Amino acid sequence: MQRREFFKKLGAVAAVTAVMPSMSFAEEAKPKGPNEFSYQKALDVITGGKPAKTSSKVQLKVPEIAENGAVVPVTVEVDSPMTESDYVKTIHIFATKNSNSRCVSVHLTPANGKAMFATRIKLGGTQDVATIVEMSDGTFLTAAQSVKVTIGGCG
Amino acid sequence: MKTGIKIALSIALLSSLSFGGEQFAMSDADRAMYAEMLDNNPADIMVESGSELLEEYCGGDAGLAKFLNVSEKDLPAYIAGFPRYLEEFKMVVGIDQVLQALMHKNSHKPFALKDGKMFDMVAYTKSIANDVAINIDVNANKHMKEAYALGQKTFDTKRGGRGLACLSCHSPDVIGSVLRTQPLPDLGAQNAGGTWPAYRMTKSSLRTLQRRFQGCMKNALLDVIPLGSPEMVALEVYVTDKSKGQAIAIPGLKR
Amino acid sequence: MGKRKSLIKIKPKKYKDGEVVKVSFMVMHPMETGMRKDKETKKLVPAEYVNSVKFTYKGKVITTMNVWESLSTNPVFTTYMKIDGAGELKVTYTESTGEVSEKSIKIKPKG
Repeated sequence: MQRREFFKKLGAVAAVTAVMPSMSFAEEAKPKGPNEFSYQKALDVITGGKPAKTSSKVQLKVPEIAENGAVVPVTVEVDSPMTESDYVKTIHIFATKNSNSRCVSVHLTPANGKAMFATRIKLGGTQDVATIVEMSDGTFLTAAQSVKVTIGGCG
Repeated sequence: MKTGIKIALSIALLSSLSFGGEQFAMSDADRAMYAEMLDNNPADIMVESGSELLEEYCGGDAGLAKFLNVSEKDLPAYIAGFPRYLEEFKMVVGIDQVLQALMHKNSHKPFALKDGKMFDMVAYTKSIANDVAINIDVNANKHMKEAYALGQKTFDTKRGGRGLACLSCHSPDVIGSVLRTQPLPDLGAQNAGGTWPAYRMTKSSLRTLQRRFQGCMKNALLDVIPLGSPEMVALEVYVTDKSKGQAIAIPGLKR
Repeated sequence: MGKRKSLIKIKPKKYKDGEVVKVSFMVMHPMETGMRKDKETKKLVPAEYVNSVKFTYKGKVITTMNVWESLSTNPVFTTYMKIDGAGELKVTYTESTGEVSEKSIKIKPKG
């Protein structure tokens, strides 16, 4: 077989395996985790039914395509003066389709000086990553972005 | 339901084939996000623990320098030249084998080459040479010349059920093609020699270059070559030489 | 000192009083979700994860976090803090097992 031809075939096989995982996820019966917490339920508990507005003040940074589902970088930055009278109280981060959607809730104070939190999360499959930001005046801001999870690369 | 899945699959397959490059490759912005993670590399903790292990079993930087017969000042540049031919060993060795010998000399049972503690210690030791340019000399003597030739042969030889060689995915004519969402890397330009040991995110652990080669072989269905064997060290010589002149930056962070 | 290895990093390494710096806490922790099967035994690995993290600077709590099992193995927590004189920065973390551990560094502003 010519190498070029071989690579075409190799590429085709690779493409199929890259597509397959997201489908097999749904078919398997999943074992239960320690905390089942849907995104909707979490949202209700946190906001108490108050509206959470999409705001340009909240910057949610996640990759569009994740290299792997085990380590997905997430950064939330909020435009805030972080003074006693006006600061970000809490940054919540969610993996909306994970069986426990709650990843982390970070309670900040003016002593942080800047409202930013960065971490890495696990994603069970392609889904939205969302953040809800609770301001010191009791209002809620939100942002969400979709992350495609593929099983990429070799080894 | 079954047909639904089948249709979805064939459409996905079709689109992935025709737009494979664009659709399933990560964007530069995504890649930049991953690069930023180097700032907080979990392997920093492993390097720190490697430093403690080197202190405990090998007498720290000073003990290592003495064993290698170089001054502590010259140690970083010397480390940047590994794998090397060492007269005491009568062969070309990697840093891990030097550490084994030193542990033995200090009356400790040496860690196995595949031991996580050995990986930690190798990572710390190589990090002594951080910011120093790789200065491996494959023409230093006949042993290094032989190791380079054996490394190239190991790299180029097709093996296993699929008849793959390292070269199959890392030859200049396929570098950059996207395979399973990842562009096939140019090992030299991407400084493989200077960025391993690295934290493998998919494995949540620190791995050495030789250990990475093993993972590659396993996935390509090639018989896995043992760590520290002449072929494996030769392969490290050959691949490290591709990054000659680039600065060492340990620990790396890899997918 | 806990049984796990951890690290606190401040960026930049040299900082002045009043400066807002990046602070990161990393800990070697498996962050088991309870949904992963052991490759050899084929049994589910029980859930075990960090469930809270607290940053205390000069005796004052500046940041607390509720944490769940969806964070990656060997998790990293990064935020900012305002340098306000020399003193200790202590990170306390608890695990789902109830174990509490801490790690601290000295904050030494220059100038």
